Amino acid sequence: MKKGKIAMTITIGIACFALVTVMMMQFKVVNETDITAIEEMQESELKTELANWKSRYEEIDAQYQEVTQRIEEYKNDEESNSEASQLVQEELEQTNTLLGLTDVHGEGIVITLKSGENTAAISADDLLIIVNALKFAGAEAISINDQRIINTTDIVYITSGDFIKVNGQRILEPYVIKVIGNQSHMESAVTGTGGKVDELQALDHTVTIEKDNDITIGKYDGEIETRYIE
Amino acid sequence: MPNKKLISIILGVMCFALTLGIVVQVRTIRNTNSTIGQNQEANELRDEILRYKERYDNRFAELERAEEELEKEREEATQNNSELEQAQQQITKGNKLTGMTEVTGPGVIITLKDGTGIATSTLNPSQLIVHDIDVLSVVNELINAGAEAISINDQRWVLTTAISCRGNTIDINGERIGAPFVIKAIGLPEYLAGLERVGGYLEYMKRDGVGVSLERSNSITIPKYSGAINFEYLQNVEE
Repeated sequence: MKKGKIAMTITIGIACFALVTVMMMQFKVVNETDITAIEEMQESELKTELANWKSRYEEIDAQYQEVTQRIEEYKNDEESNSEASQLVQEELEQTNTLLGLTDVHGEGIVITLKSGENTAAISADDLLIIVNALKFAGAEAISINDQRIINTTDIVYITSGDFIKVNGQRILEPYVIKVIGNQSHMESAVTGTGGKVDELQALDHTVTIEKDNDITIGKYDGEIETRYIE
Repeated sequence: MPNKKLISIILGVMCFALTLGIVVQVRTIRNTNSTIGQNQEANELRDEILRYKERYDNRFAELERAEEELEKEREEATQNNSELEQAQQQITKGNKLTGMTEVTGPGVIITLKDGTGIATSTLNPSQLIVHDIDVLSVVNELINAGAEAISINDQRWVLTTAISCRGNTIDINGERIGAPFVIKAIGLPEYLAGLERVGGYLEYMKRDGVGVSLERSNSITIPKYSGAINFEYLQNVEE
């Protein structure tokens, strides 16, 4: 009698354990299949999403190939100091390019903006939105009145003086935005329906866009300090 | 005897609960399958997206390991030369600034949630929603307050980062994210917390009914950029 009871308890215990495990597994499967987002998408959206992931994969793959190649180069040049020096200098130059600490040139467009006389002046937000739209379209380097846009550039309106500051430096009209990137992508990023340039023109501001096959954009001329990141 | 009855009842209830759980789960999965089963071509696209996503995830993990190795190799190659050592330190520091490595430090975490208030005739329902321009403005103010590294829902803010509206969600670094938006920034917490000042953008959003919160922290971790920056049109000017 007693033996039977123990056996039964154990059996039930095991059964419960198995059931709970199965349930956990199921929960995990449901959690992991984060396909809910793509499930709701239509075919055209899916195609865009696929192109997006393809290009993200290719981008990261190219970067991976580059890094592994560099590692090989370092390994092969262990004995020779001059080659190591060249490798380090190359890497440093690349880092400085990303930081905006080098003068750069390439094809692109120049946008010139001047506020209309009988309407509210072009604002810091307008410039911020234009820069954002250019970046979204693949801009590789941007400057406003020769202030280089780096990843820690702010564009703010100073109420007390009624002017705009970029990188903490005061800029005055006309605002000249230089951008390096695919010319037609850059232009269509700010023109057409919903484009900031068309919107500003409709508000009576003067905006011109010029294509230029070789624009030079100067480097960021300040110290980029870090005190808090580790 | 009453003991036995009690056990039976408990067992009965447990079995019922477990069965219920399993049935719910099976149903959920079956539902998922039925939506997927709708269209052959769309299914293939979904499969391919998941495949590429997986390939991307794997490559990204490999890239992270390779970058660590590269840093070691670089350190080794430069350790006996003070000039090179300086260059190596500049690269390491630069990688933190450009978003190519993970960073930690003190700072603030700002959360923006779509408002839950009911739109009245005076309140435009669109005001309750967090827009791309809102996120952009907060980032701009954080930089103005001295932020050294920023992420939005763990997407690192880098040189080429743009924020774009895509229906109810926003697009950032090729990733689609939705509210709530969690913006992390590393910098002097006292300065960064200044974003809550009267007349600042956060207050402006609060007035519109958006859910805004700001929290200081002594240790924030911001991940590395999820992509790679490659230049196609740009070249350095030869000196």
